[in-house]
Amino acid sequence: MTYAVSKKGNINMELLKQKLLSGFNGLDIQLRDDQRMFISTEKESILSLLSYLKNEGYEHLALISCNDWINQEKFELVYILSAYMADDNHYQEKEKRSIILKTNISRKVAKFMTITNIFNSAEPYERELHEMFGIIFEGHPRLTPLMLEREYEVPPFRKDFDSQNYVDNTFGKIPSIAERKEGTK
Amino acid sequence: MRELELFYGPQHLGMVGNFSITLKVEGDRIIKADANPGYLHRGFEKLMEQRTWMQNFPLVCRINVVEPDHMELIYSMGVEKLAGIEVPERGKFIRSIFCEMARVGSHLFGLWAYANMLGFDTVANWAMYHRDLLLDLFEELTGARVYHIYLRPGGVRRDFPEGFTDKLIETLHKIGGKVPDYNTTFFENSLFKQRAEGIGIVTREEAIRMGAVGHTIKATGMKYDIRKIEPYDAYDQVDFDIPVRTDGDAYSRLLAIRDDMIESVHLIFKLIDKMPKNGAVYTKTPNPFKWNIPKGETYVRCESSRGELGLYMVSNGGNKPYRVHFNTPSYNHGLTVLEKALVGESVSDVGNIMISLYVVAPEIDR
Repeated sequence: MTYAVSKKGNINMELLKQKLLSGFNGLDIQLRDDQRMFISTEKESILSLLSYLKNEGYEHLALISCNDWINQEKFELVYILSAYMADDNHYQEKEKRSIILKTNISRKVAKFMTITNIFNSAEPYERELHEMFGIIFEGHPRLTPLMLEREYEVPPFRKDFDSQNYVDNTFGKIPSIAERKEGTK
Repeated sequence: MRELELFYGPQHLGMVGNFSITLKVEGDRIIKADANPGYLHRGFEKLMEQRTWMQNFPLVCRINVVEPDHMELIYSMGVEKLAGIEVPERGKFIRSIFCEMARVGSHLFGLWAYANMLGFDTVANWAMYHRDLLLDLFEELTGARVYHIYLRPGGVRRDFPEGFTDKLIETLHKIGGKVPDYNTTFFENSLFKQRAEGIGIVTREEAIRMGAVGHTIKATGMKYDIRKIEPYDAYDQVDFDIPVRTDGDAYSRLLAIRDDMIESVHLIFKLIDKMPKNGAVYTKTPNPFKWNIPKGETYVRCESSRGELGLYMVSNGGNKPYRVHFNTPSYNHGLTVLEKALVGESVSDVGNIMISLYVVAPEIDR
């Protein structure tokens, strides 16, 4: 599949890249030719970067995701931002872009700051990550269960959660119909 | 007046799908709403990390029951981007036609849900009948009525059979011919207008603040549509319009959905006209059991019938995805927008607002 790229869009992306590099320390920015900008940064600068990008017009928080890099003992938090239309009827280059902001946190002490005071729509995503990966978001207004019905020893989306083992332990102990008939005799 | 806690769903006449809302009410007015989507317990994203790239197709289409095709499309787009696969020209057109058929079917299903919930049984039956006509075409093309597994990385599974486009055009004319009847019995019916007008208003500022997409933002006047913003497949080769409304209430949202459906029908005609007459429909991919995709990550998006649909996918160089995370439109609409839009409304309008926001519960669960 080809993704049409215009030169103008890339120049604007380059401009944003320069602005970010001059304003923030320790950024690793990759520009891809399909209008995606991958930014890796230290966890301390995430909040200020997110508010800066929001002010630049990237006010649509599309997704907060997390990668469990178990061999390197770290979680990688992923924030994906894009822009709404500035003009209701005309499409501009800016809306084509997605900014993927990434940072690492320790896997042993899985704690991070909430971003709900910058993006209101972050609330359910952080609840989900809390439930599925066991990450605690400090300052979150309601870190209550969202989808799961019980607590797990290892949060289920972590790589060391063994699905097969879990199924055997949970459902393997239920006697089969044949076994139950044996018991009643 | 005394405050009461009311459990709305998962077993409730006004509720569609496996979803529940805990309401705090004072008399008939809602003070607070707490959405609870966890009734499916599927763990699809975890399961997909344990299956090969191609084995995931039967899972991915089941994420959204109403329109599985856009789910297949977004997953194929993700794999194509990671593996660097191109789709042949005719394949692109077939994909777009197929996805527009899915959009019309999905809107008809939504119309059924809305009409059925409000007691307009005649309209609901018409909508279901017309969706069934489309399902017959899907069956002829793919062998399955609901979960088609037709799209694949690199194109589509097979070409259109002989005479398929003629049948498709005939069916669409049949559906289009019924639109005036839909208008008089439902969309312009004063009984329906009284129920939907001024209900569940989401303003532009609120929509942007809460991350709304799809018809929720189109009903505030913004032509936010990924088919135009970041054209994929054959959408950049045809001319079409994005219908919008300006009031932001349930009625505007529903009219935006109706207009979108009509626009989709026109779009299919235009796509059929422009489609290359022959050529390959898919690019060959390696043996699925030995297919390792290079290390990398990607974020792709497309426009499903509910709004912007995204996929964040990571490969660590193996034969399975390392991480798959879907950004589904119902997620924001069902958890953030719904909770806000319900406050101050009447208990009898909960189902009304929920369906007008186009929430499909299976999309929310992970």
